[in-house]
Amino acid sequence: MAGNMNANYDLPQGVERLKEEHRKVVKDCKGQITHWKKVEKDYESLQERLVTLPDKLSYDIMVPFGPLAFMPGKLVHTNELTVLLGDNWFAKCSAKQAETLVEHRKKHVKNKLDDLHKVMKNFQSRAGFTEDLEKMTNDNGDFVDIKEKVEEEEAGTKGKHRVAHKPKSKPKEEYVVQLEEEREEEEEEAEGEDGESSKRVLSEEELWARLDELERMEDEQDERDRMDSTDTNGEDTSSSSSEEEKEAEAGREAQVNGQSQCENQASVSHIVQVNGIAKPQHDEEAKEDDDEEEEGSSLPTIYFCHTVEPKKVRINTGKNTTLKFSDRKEQKQQGKRKKKNGKTNSHSIQEHHKITSPSDIYRVFVDVLNGELVPRKSILKSRSRENSVCSDTSESSTADFEERRTFFGRAQSHDDATHSDASDGITEEDSPSISLYPNGRFEAFSGTVVEKDPLPSSIPHLTIAPPALPTIPERKQEEVSSEVPQEPIKRVSKFKAARLQQK
Amino acid sequence: YLIKLSEKIQPQCKKLSSKKVVKSMSARQKLEAQLTENNIVKEELHLLDSQNTVYKLIGPVLVKQDLDEAKATVGKRLEYINGEIQRYETLLKDMERKSEQHREVLASLQQEYQRAQGIPVAKA
Repeated sequence: MAGNMNANYDLPQGVERLKEEHRKVVKDCKGQITHWKKVEKDYESLQERLVTLPDKLSYDIMVPFGPLAFMPGKLVHTNELTVLLGDNWFAKCSAKQAETLVEHRKKHVKNKLDDLHKVMKNFQSRAGFTEDLEKMTNDNGDFVDIKEKVEEEEAGTKGKHRVAHKPKSKPKEEYVVQLEEEREEEEEEAEGEDGESSKRVLSEEELWARLDELERMEDEQDERDRMDSTDTNGEDTSSSSSEEEKEAEAGREAQVNGQSQCENQASVSHIVQVNGIAKPQHDEEAKEDDDEEEEGSSLPTIYFCHTVEPKKVRINTGKNTTLKFSDRKEQKQQGKRKKKNGKTNSHSIQEHHKITSPSDIYRVFVDVLNGELVPRKSILKSRSRENSVCSDTSESSTADFEERRTFFGRAQSHDDATHSDASDGITEEDSPSISLYPNGRFEAFSGTVVEKDPLPSSIPHLTIAPPALPTIPERKQEEVSSEVPQEPIKRVSKFKAARLQQK
Repeated sequence: YLIKLSEKIQPQCKKLSSKKVVKSMSARQKLEAQLTENNIVKEELHLLDSQNTVYKLIGPVLVKQDLDEAKATVGKRLEYINGEIQRYETLLKDMERKSEQHREVLASLQQEYQRAQGIPVAKA
């Protein structure tokens, strides 16, 4: 920032100097132009005199005698003129010949005048260009600030995540904590949205401190994840942790802007790890960040936030569990953020967070429960292809999330994905909807493929449509937010039924 | 200290060279003016015919000259002027190069000086 500021200061100074020089040149040109115009005038009057001179044989004139006196005299041989040709050369010639010479000289003078005019115009245009340049630089039209805001709050919430490392107990606590966090995030987001501009005031130093804190939290989270996750998960976590770290680093590098949107950065570290999907998640997060970025820059600033992927609680459900639901916060934030990014990772996972009973867990990991008992990844994929219906975003939850992650990992920049997802998640989040979503979502897991429909619902999200991801329409899900779960009835699992009964 | 001295020397050298540059520049400009003037004279002589007598001003005396002679003389003068201009141009280029070298040396010396300054500061 300092560097930019300096550059900004230098620019006006340089521009001022340039302008001064331009003005100087223009002044000189004008002076010369006036001079040559005078010369031209003289020549014209001389021409006149030459024309009239031979009219009379002799003229009575007052002859200058020295510098102070005149004497009456006569002008004779009116047709004979001694002309100075230049460089100490003289020529005797008649009036008419002299007139020709004068014409010839006038040509030269005119040429010079024209050149001077051209120079003056050039410099004037140059001055105009410098002015335009100055305006442009002031507007910073081409500059885009990329700011990443890291919320300290998340750090606080992250602390809560620290729970016993027992695999079973952890998920619940995590979910609970996550829920809390999400709520906090929601609040923060709301605040942030309202006072986006005001929040940007966060000092860089604070943000850096926050970033460090968040990174620490992430590392801790990773460790916990590792402990909980199975071998496969462990790999994921390691990868995700590394990714998280990378993201954190990236986030740090980016300027942190005061927007609350960046809050999610902290949560970014919570990489949702799905078997082998960790990477995509990062992408998603990154994408989410992109969403955030794009939003708000009053100057064109891109607020990069490591979107907090819905943490998936790792539950050892047997086969593939390790699903961490991203915090709702992330989702919420994502939803709120501009959704320029087409990629809406909208992982509706948010809803999953609410795990208050074992059934919740099953709900969350629907894919596991489905008859297929296949890793969600595969389930999603197959489902997506099978189900063309755009079920509600609920699917976007874990299942979508995973798939999206994969997609994102392939195709887009992290930012876009994360932003979109986050936004999706956020939009969906509203507390009242949460209850609905979990139900719907889980149902989605049951096999509904999240299709583009979610997109329309998710409106806030965006535009996405990650083109990169080809087959999976689920991507579009980002919608997580508003869609109404349409799950295919056939997929409803017994658990879902149980849930429905419960709710 | 040595560095400081050397740095001081450099700007002086540059200045000296720049004076020369200025001088040669002004001389070159004069020559250019003469060049244009003689061109005009040549053209005007061309416009005249032999009936007109041509004079050359040598000191306080106007000396009659033949038109053709005058034309030849003016032509020669033009060539001479062109040659002078070229000579001055080469001189200017050389001087520019020298001054650039001086500037480079000066810059390097400045860097060393700053480094030397930084080290003592660090030590302190």
